[in-house]
Amino acid sequence: MKWSLDLLKGKWLRHPLHPIIVHVPMAMWPSALIFDLLSQWQIGGNAMVHLSFYAIILGLVASLLAVPTGVLDWSSIKKEKPAWKIGLYHMMLNLIAALLFAINFGLRMQDFREATAVARIPLALSFIGTGLLIGSAYLGGRMTYTYGISVARMSKPKWRKIAEAAGANLPPE
Amino acid sequence: MLKDFLEGKPLRHPLHPMLVHFPIGLFLLSLLLDLASLVFPSVPDLVRDSFYAMLLGVITALIAAVPGFVDYTDIRSDHPAKRTATVHLTLNLIVVALYGINLGVRSSSLVDPKIQMVPMILSFIGVALLSVSGYLGGRLVYDDGIGVGRHKRRTPTPESTLYLPATNVANDGDLAFVPIPEAESLGERETLRVEIDGQVITIAKIDENLYAFQEFCTHRFGPLSEGAFEGFNVQCPWHNSCFDGRTGKVTQGPAKVDLKSFKVETRDGKICVGVQRWTGEST
Repeated sequence: MKWSLDLLKGKWLRHPLHPIIVHVPMAMWPSALIFDLLSQWQIGGNAMVHLSFYAIILGLVASLLAVPTGVLDWSSIKKEKPAWKIGLYHMMLNLIAALLFAINFGLRMQDFREATAVARIPLALSFIGTGLLIGSAYLGGRMTYTYGISVARMSKPKWRKIAEAAGANLPPE
Repeated sequence: MLKDFLEGKPLRHPLHPMLVHFPIGLFLLSLLLDLASLVFPSVPDLVRDSFYAMLLGVITALIAAVPGFVDYTDIRSDHPAKRTATVHLTLNLIVVALYGINLGVRSSSLVDPKIQMVPMILSFIGVALLSVSGYLGGRLVYDDGIGVGRHKRRTPTPESTLYLPATNVANDGDLAFVPIPEAESLGERETLRVEIDGQVITIAKIDENLYAFQEFCTHRFGPLSEGAFEGFNVQCPWHNSCFDGRTGKVTQGPAKVDLKSFKVETRDGKICVGVQRWTGEST
């Protein structure tokens, strides 16, 4: 059990896993919106419809991995910390965005091979999904860059040595 | 102002790590479409689709490079992470150049059902190098806290450490008083990072007075010379522990242990910091 938790936390990689995996949906879904819009403006035509479809499915596949790693990182935050609540909103928004893109994907399956422009409803879903995702990703970024979640989690021994060599007061080990 | 913008201070989030999602994801998508064209040659237009994914990848990579470069210049020159950042930067430039070549090579055969070997191999190398580089970028954040909490700091951070010896200076009992000439011109809420015989000390000007305390936070050892100031409190950029700059006492966790603090006095008209004569061996 513990080995699978360590695997998902990215200990073997010395880097948290969730922020690595999320690059994929975070790139794919807004890109899908860009491709959708280009197809609407008659730039690139069918290639854009294709690309958008492939981008959405790649994002969906990666999000299946992003969920367990993210939930695990979140579960190690203490409930009274501000980052816990941010993490909760981050998770809920992500689940909604993923659901919207899953529906979006289903709506495209019929005609993506031939279409030269994306239809209205999938386009609207890409818009809403991307909007939610960007909001959610910003919250995820705040967890790292404002609250330091996972920062120095694995490098703590290295920094302790440096601080000790620099004559600093240290916390108990 | 432009520097603050490129560092993402108005957004309270660095820009570079936001933007890099795009080239990473798109280059991966492009490689997967190349592979798909080999496995499923009957699926139309995969080679063409891959080309456009790569093109958008290059465009977004060039956009991401700009704040990335600003972030790079902001890392203290003697920071152990500077070398990692140099490798990260160099690898990324190589990756973008490879993808520029890759686009050129494949642009003449977009209607092929299968991707050709040379662009395919270039894509493989590109994704491999980018994975290493992206990993190093992540280590910069999660190991070394580069960019973490930087938006909370209003004044510039120290560009490098001042290395000063404690020899040939006035002694007062156990204390050696080491002159810090650079402290004379320090602005309000600015800091110096000073190393005296191995001891690393932050000198901060708060409310017109100079205070000196240990550089490393007592929680996970974040750099207090890059901290933010709130009244007399210095706040660690990493996990927001606060200490009273005058006394070193913890005023807000997660840190629980007080900082070592040092006397700052004017002696013979020079600003001096009083340090224990220290052998570099911990007790």
